[in-house]
Amino acid sequence: MVNLEDLSQAVVKGDVEAAFALTKAALEAGLPAGEILDRGLIPGLKEVGDLFEEGEYYLPELIVSGDAVAQALELLEPALRQGGEPHMGKYLIGTVQGDIHDLGKNIVIMMLKGNGWEVTDLGVDVSPEEFCAAVSEGDFQIVGLSSLLTMTMPNAARTIEALKKAGLREKVKVMVGGAPTTPEWAAQIGADAHAKDGPSAARVAAELVGKS
Amino acid sequence: MRKMSGLERVLTALKCKEPDRVPHFERVAKRVIEGILPGASYEDLVEYLDLDGIRFIDRTHSWSYEVVDEARRVKRDQWGGLVRYTTEDNPIPFEPAIRSEKDLDNYVLPDPDEEWRYEYLKQVVKRFKGERAIVVGVTDIFALGRENFLGDVGYFRAMVKNPDLIDRVNELLLSYQLRYIKNCIELGADVLWINGDWAMTEKPMVSRQFAQRFLTPPLQKLVEYAHSWGVPCIKHTDGNIWPIYDLILDTGVDGLHPIDPMAGMDIGEAKAKFGDRVCLCGNVSCAFSLVSGTEEEVRQETKEVIRKAGRGGGLICMSSNSIHSGVKPANYLAMVKAIREFGQYPLALD
Ligand code: B12
Repeated sequence: MVNLEDLSQAVVKGDVEAAFALTKAALEAGLPAGEILDRGLIPGLKEVGDLFEEGEYYLPELIVSGDAVAQALELLEPALRQGGEPHMGKYLIGTVQGDIHDLGKNIVIMMLKGNGWEVTDLGVDVSPEEFCAAVSEGDFQIVGLSSLLTMTMPNAARTIEALKKAGLREKVKVMVGGAPTTPEWAAQIGADAHAKDGPSAARVAAELVGKS
Repeated sequence: MRKMSGLERVLTALKCKEPDRVPHFERVAKRVIEGILPGASYEDLVEYLDLDGIRFIDRTHSWSYEVVDEARRVKRDQWGGLVRYTTEDNPIPFEPAIRSEKDLDNYVLPDPDEEWRYEYLKQVVKRFKGERAIVVGVTDIFALGRENFLGDVGYFRAMVKNPDLIDRVNELLLSYQLRYIKNCIELGADVLWINGDWAMTEKPMVSRQFAQRFLTPPLQKLVEYAHSWGVPCIKHTDGNIWPIYDLILDTGVDGLHPIDPMAGMDIGEAKAKFGDRVCLCGNVSCAFSLVSGTEEEVRQETKEVIRKAGRGGGLICMSSNSIHSGVKPANYLAMVKAIREFGQYPLALD
């Protein structure tokens, strides 16, 4: 019998090989992919997030845990997709125009994926028009805007304006984040939510779609 | 007190002593120069504002690049990775040079001795030597390895999974940078500016153990080497470095920049904790006041920095990163003016 707690621990330790082997064994033992995610990967990632916030873990530990999750997800994704919709929903993310900081965004992506989101990454220096085009083409529940520079923070506001103009604002929830951003600023520019780091981004995203 | 030259001021502050006034120098983005002195070069601006030093970085003035995609402003840097240009004058790496150990086995380092690398330094020396501090940027080994060589993710991953790879990379890059330093010092560099971020807003990028294992040993080698020539070093790193500042200071650096205020680093607290060991360089906010404040707010913040950290010397008043393209030209001018207004020793601030 595969113990999903071992899978959680493989994620916490960043043990890529173990995460792969345990996920494979769990699938072979007939466990549903959704359960492997919910009881294996997600609790593991939650612990990683806690350790990061408590100052035990830093970026290297986060990256290798992310690797372990990515390995497991590769096996799980086909099964997760069979049900049609992704487990949590579809998330579009990018760093706003003029800004190329992406470390933080990439960590948010890892956390979202590990929590069952299908994530589309537009990369860095993404213009409002590019965000709009992607929103109109895909069916995303949430759009995440990353912004690390105060001088380009207005481009997050511009992106929201552009979504409104294009009649797309009601189609998606908008989340913003990045070191200089605050919940007050998020509210001011008309975003639906703000999150201060990767773990809370996953939490807030779940709340936004009523799946927390 | 006798009026000092910019060079004397900077060197005195770096010894944690009191110059005639609080020194100041900055790297300034073209856009801001254009707003202050249209058509002028950075060197002209340095003279115009009577800055105490002139600072440039290796990335922009001594590395080679070849164009890969003109329209997307993408180039290949001399290490082999891809960089792109944004609003700033400096290129931003986005694809690393080394993807596997095999790449490293066959790797040929660029040649630090090529003459052209030092052309700009020579010009600066000719114009400013002896008058203003010539502050030469040396990208630190961690930043070079992480940003240009292995990429952030590759580097962090290897720290955990393949530490030998990091050791190899460190050794290779150190050999280049030591040679580069030697050449710069022989040509007239007065101060080395060892740039490279070690921290993010909340905390350092890596744990104390990793900082000790991978980050500080090569930094210490750079510093010791520069010191063997009698040249002081300023370490630049953004972010919250409270958890590891002692490790950085133990490498022997003479100055620390920028005491990142957005990351909760208070320069008064820094002064109290270690202001006697290292010259503080900072920290007027280029995230807030310099970008979106009023001139009066900048003036007040500059005054605060001097009040908190100027006592007894050991302060070079600077911005919290650089005068990047988002800084209002008038605000930068207000900062320079305030340094002259409040920075005369003996300080009369309390
Ligand atoms: C690393 C770094 C760089 C690297 C970027 C490498 C890369 N590929 O990302 C390099 C060296 C290239 C760089 C360049 C510049 N940088 Co920089 N950089 C940093 C630094 C040190 C760390 C940022 C980081 O990666 N943090 C680690 C991650 C994990 O944290 P994070 O980004 O905050 O992300 C977390 C949360 O914010 C949140 N989050 C982030 N995005 C999102 C999105 C959503 C939707 C959600 C929900 C949450 C969320 O979750 C993340 C994970 O926990 C900061 C210092 C600092 N105090 O933050 C400066 C900093 C951000 N940089 C700064 C500046 C000024 C610049 C430059 C202009 C410098 C220059 N003169 O060239 C250029 C800008 C280039 C450009 N056009 O964008 C300033 C910005 C000031 C401001 N707020 O305006 C800072 C604050 C430094 C300082 N001392 O002032 N930088």
